[in-house]
Amino acid sequence: MPVVSPRVDADVALAAQGDSVAFERLYRAHVPRIHSLTRRMIGSRDADEVTQDIFVRTWQKLRLFRGESAFSTWLHRLAVNVVIERRRTWAIERGRMTDDPAAALEVVPVAPARADLTVDFEYAMEQLPDGAREIFVLHDVEGYKHREISELLGIATGTSKRQLHRARMLMRRHLGGLHKG
Amino acid sequence: MHEEWTDRLSDYLDDELTADERAAVAAHLKSCAHCAAVAADLEKVVTHAKAAAPRPPQHDLWPGIDARIGRVAQPRRVSFTLPQLAAAAALLVAVSGGMAWQFGTQSAIGRSADASRSGNAGVDGTVAPERDASSGRPAAAESVNVAPATRVAATTVSYADAQYDAAVSDLEKALKNGRNHLDASTVSIVEHNLQIIDQAIEQARQALEADPANSYLSGHLVEARRRKLDLLRRATALTETD
Repeated sequence: MPVVSPRVDADVALAAQGDSVAFERLYRAHVPRIHSLTRRMIGSRDADEVTQDIFVRTWQKLRLFRGESAFSTWLHRLAVNVVIERRRTWAIERGRMTDDPAAALEVVPVAPARADLTVDFEYAMEQLPDGAREIFVLHDVEGYKHREISELLGIATGTSKRQLHRARMLMRRHLGGLHKG
Repeated sequence: MHEEWTDRLSDYLDDELTADERAAVAAHLKSCAHCAAVAADLEKVVTHAKAAAPRPPQHDLWPGIDARIGRVAQPRRVSFTLPQLAAAAALLVAVSGGMAWQFGTQSAIGRSADASRSGNAGVDGTVAPERDASSGRPAAAESVNVAPATRVAATTVSYADAQYDAAVSDLEKALKNGRNHLDASTVSIVEHNLQIIDQAIEQARQALEADPANSYLSGHLVEARRRKLDLLRRATALTETD
């Protein structure tokens, strides 16, 4: 998590007044976390585009940042909202949300063993079905509670718990393949 | 057979079970090697997830962002629906009209105040947000001249928050100190209209939070703030001419 510093505060204030150089510094400081969040929730293919959208939205809304929380927290919540909004749009457009657990089990392949466990774990996350993936990322990677996730996604906490368990079992299956290899 | 237990393992790991349920799962894990192995694997998954480090994008995304924000003005912008716009505009017109009538009836005082305001008549049109022609971004602050009749305000006040708030604060203090020079009905009307303008300003701010990219009422917010300043200035001028 980015360190809060007077420099960050100064850059936020400058960027809110239209200083794009200060905004670039904010971008450089926060893009690894924001891009990772985006990539994990919606996949590598669209992560760059959505990350750019998030920072453009941040630029537009920066004057609304009141400093009541850390800038990184505010930015992260904004990013989550943009990603969720985008996924909803895509889900409607593509009609590809899959909530059938049996079908989901078919989606995640047991990948061959790789030398780099981190890369493999990232790959496995990306293979999770949509509903399970976003809850797994929000809960286990980003540390959101089920209550917060249910509010963000507009679902029951029970649904959030079920999807999380489903995601973990799929990840276990994937990592089991790794260990056997 | 095992699913009855494994389905509860995530809740068990996350401490989401009741005490009784938790005790039952814990007891089962002691006697079932299969479920215990699943629990250990799930715990490993959670540990990996928590340790997942952020990774930057493979390509620098800044040039694309820079190009886009160059076209997107920093939002000194307000969003209102058309009915809200109409209502707010009518409100401000009503307030202005009411105050004009009120000041007009205070003939002796009003003439003095009008004379002091005459040099400021053309200023009202200068408060719309100015934008940098090259970047499309707003200028750092929009300014308006304040009538020389008020001794409490500087000759020029920026609508940037700090300066505006300071000017308003000074005028409010001056009005408070001089309110004994005004009759009760005038004080009542001034206070009532200030309340209405404050509500209009607050509504505009809320709309800005809901949709900062809409530019339609940005000028309206500035106008409401200008009217508040103007009303305070005029009312303060009345106290000074008494």
